[in-house]
Amino acid sequence: MSAVTATTAVRARRPRRDRRPVWDEKPSFLGKSAKALFLICYAAAIIVPLWAVLATSVATDDALARSGGDMVFLPTDVSFQAYREILSGGAVTKSLLFTLMLTAVGTAISLVLTVGAAYGLSRPGSVWHRKFLTAALVTLLFAPGMYPSYLVVQDLGLLNNMWSLILPVCFSAWNLIVLRTFFMTSVPGELIDAAKIDGAGEFRTMFKVVLPMSKAILAVIGLFYAVGYWNTYFLSVLYTPGLETKPIQVLIQQWLIASTQPSGQDAAAAAAISSGMDNAPAASLKMAAVVCTIIPIVVMYPFIQKHFTKAVITGAVKG
Amino acid sequence: MAVTTPAARTAAAPTKTKAPKARRRPLRHRLRLDWPLVVLTLPAMVQLAVFFYTPSAYSIIAFMDYSPYRPLWENPIIGFTHFQILFEDPYFVDALLNTLQFAFAQLLFVFPFSIVLALIMHSVVSTKIRSTFQSIVYLPYFFSWVLVVSVFAQVLGQDGLLSRWLVGMGGERLDIMRDPDSFMFLAWMQWTWKDAGWGMIIFLAALAAINPALYEAAAVDGANRWRRLWHITLPSIRPVIVLLLILQLGSILSVGFEQYQLQRAAVGWGASEVLDTFVYYRTILASNGESLGTAAGLFKGVIGLLLILAANNIAHRLGEQGIYQKS
Repeated sequence: MSAVTATTAVRARRPRRDRRPVWDEKPSFLGKSAKALFLICYAAAIIVPLWAVLATSVATDDALARSGGDMVFLPTDVSFQAYREILSGGAVTKSLLFTLMLTAVGTAISLVLTVGAAYGLSRPGSVWHRKFLTAALVTLLFAPGMYPSYLVVQDLGLLNNMWSLILPVCFSAWNLIVLRTFFMTSVPGELIDAAKIDGAGEFRTMFKVVLPMSKAILAVIGLFYAVGYWNTYFLSVLYTPGLETKPIQVLIQQWLIASTQPSGQDAAAAAAISSGMDNAPAASLKMAAVVCTIIPIVVMYPFIQKHFTKAVITGAVKG
Repeated sequence: MAVTTPAARTAAAPTKTKAPKARRRPLRHRLRLDWPLVVLTLPAMVQLAVFFYTPSAYSIIAFMDYSPYRPLWENPIIGFTHFQILFEDPYFVDALLNTLQFAFAQLLFVFPFSIVLALIMHSVVSTKIRSTFQSIVYLPYFFSWVLVVSVFAQVLGQDGLLSRWLVGMGGERLDIMRDPDSFMFLAWMQWTWKDAGWGMIIFLAALAAINPALYEAAAVDGANRWRRLWHITLPSIRPVIVLLLILQLGSILSVGFEQYQLQRAAVGWGASEVLDTFVYYRTILASNGESLGTAAGLFKGVIGLLLILAANNIAHRLGEQGIYQKS
């Protein structure tokens, strides 16, 4: 994955790399191997389950029968039948498309709100600056209860409506602080002043000067928002239990988690999801759905990973 | 935080030379100058007003004999009765105790695990190993709880990988995904799997910021690796540890909803009920629980607020930075 990019980046400055300082004593063999063992076990605990999910999703009936049922660890022959079935227009396809749209629309709205507020609050001394900032920061200290929030959504008529999965969570004060701090510390004030002198208004300064310099941090914040929307589960359980096309996480819960419980209603819901998918083993179908849920995250991840630390630190230190 | 004290105003002013001049002008003039900034900020403020401040105001339902069938202001105010009912309700007390247990388990076993992980990672000299390892352990943080529970069921469930292997070896099936008694351990494994790797990111950054000359000087003076850890590394990352501890304390009553709701059917409510699930099952799914649920939610919010303020105060007194004195 991103190990490849890391390697090339490191190779460029090879002379200084991987050098233990002269004053540092060499670690003992025992200490070194204990450390290696710990790291390997920890990484394996993360990778092995994911590998098993992937292997099962491409398994055939034969392979599953040989391994004795639900899981395959070493697939002998690979079949993409399960993916063909879940992506051929059934409940899973609809749900994936719905969640993709939810993620795209939600992330766009979130970024507009956050960028606007972060830029608007990046000039100490502007009108109502402290009032607005306080109003945003209070949200980090207190959280209104579940029922009052539900009541607001109900009053707005948004129950069982897609917008109830976006509007209540589309703005996060944490991301505001991260972005605002970035605007205030990493974009040189001289540039902004220069733009002003050249006659650019605030909007033009923002779009032409500040935002082009903030692409990396915008990508990270966008990822955080997008992952939040992609992982929508609680909000859907709370606000949209009656929605016909459910977010993918709710669908997976009904199909994989609830169906293992001895309740007639859940079993019926699970059966409805997989109806018409007869050519691939049931275990493969479920795992293929899980893989489809993981893929968007894994695809985005390497591009943005290198900026994580910066974003997290900015938010934590300057808050 | 953003308390509008005169000191804070004057402190903020010099950052922009124009600011003090603008402040003395009447509002009309300042608006003419700053209207684009206000326009940019307003959508977010409207979102907060509707989805944060309105529900916060609705918390008054906790003090009412509330019925959803009449307008809000026609409900009679009855004071703290619902809080009294709450604390006499064994279900609520159980949920509260469970929540505290989970929160302290996170504080005691996940948080230090992240620190240890960061220390070990930091001591790995090879950049290649480090970045590979980091990309692996950060990944599960972005998975939803639905995925985490599903993946766990595939490995630790009754028909999962481990059970199969154990049966193949002549042993018995694992039952940990359904056993209420070991749910705490299961929850710990899930937190560690999902969040501990991500938790180390901030410690790693703090470790990277330590001046290497300190280590060199200590080494020259004869301090071995453990003494350098104790006398340089840990004191250097102490502010970060304190900061994160305060934040964790503030959210001690909100351990989350999804992880517990998802596994509630498997392990039973007795082991998995926390405050959030209590409120959900009592108010949203049942009828006549509106005031009670709101009271529970308000209790949670107020305790969280008090804890974060108190923890920050203590941190200040101990000479630490705490979370807010800036901005």
